[in-house]
Amino acid sequence: MREFTEEELAECNGKNGKPAYIAFNTMVYDVTDSFLWRGGRHQVLHEAGKDLTREIEDAPHGPDLLERVTPIGILKRVTH
Amino acid sequence: MAKVTREVVEKAGVNVDQLVELLVKNASAELTTFYYYTILRMNLIGLEGEGVKEIAETARIEDRNHFEALVPRIYELGGKLPADMKKFHDISACPPASLPADPGNVRDILKVLVEAERCAVRGYSQICNMTAGKDHRTYDLALAILNEEIEHESWFSEFLGEGPSGHFLRRGTTSPFVSKFMM
Repeated sequence: MREFTEEELAECNGKNGKPAYIAFNTMVYDVTDSFLWRGGRHQVLHEAGKDLTREIEDAPHGPDLLERVTPIGILKRVTH
Repeated sequence: MAKVTREVVEKAGVNVDQLVELLVKNASAELTTFYYYTILRMNLIGLEGEGVKEIAETARIEDRNHFEALVPRIYELGGKLPADMKKFHDISACPPASLPADPGNVRDILKVLVEAERCAVRGYSQICNMTAGKDHRTYDLALAILNEEIEHESWFSEFLGEGPSGHFLRRGTTSPFVSKFMM
């Protein structure tokens, strides 16, 4: 699987024809074709191109819904 | 726009622009679901389908009621509906509840129905979470709609064999929770 840096992930924000990718835990998912991620936004509050691991804690659904989208890579986190 | 209403909600810490956008997206989901459910209901036929038709019809009418109840709140808060119906469809908070590939398969139709209701339950839970203790009127409205969406979900879920819904179908009237917003 492809490895993504946070910068590479941020490029895939679903805007201006770019693909929409999101990360949860260590996985990167392609949500480009999801109706719920049109334009790289989800339910007004969430943006593609980001690690949403924390945001999903406050969402009205669990990470199980990510099983409906395709995992395409692994997020490489930089530790400082 | 109800100027003081908006100010009070903003002062309570709600991002009103985000809230209005969510309300518009959910209003779209309700109206488009009303449309798609019309098609689903038409295809609920035969020995199996007829048993589901009545609850699909109740859910369809109540989703239209939800649209009607949401619109005044959108305008009170300074929002508006898109002028373009096509745009309105495409910003829906939920995917289209499209007729499945095999329209004769009642179970497939039930899966579409229950998914639509689950999307709505998530959406109104989010609005309730955003507005609880801050925007009492939107909270009251979203909670009323949520109550009905939960019942819709449980009806369809029961028919899918996921367990008892826990309550009876409507008797004569629709929208027992939302009707107070439709005076």
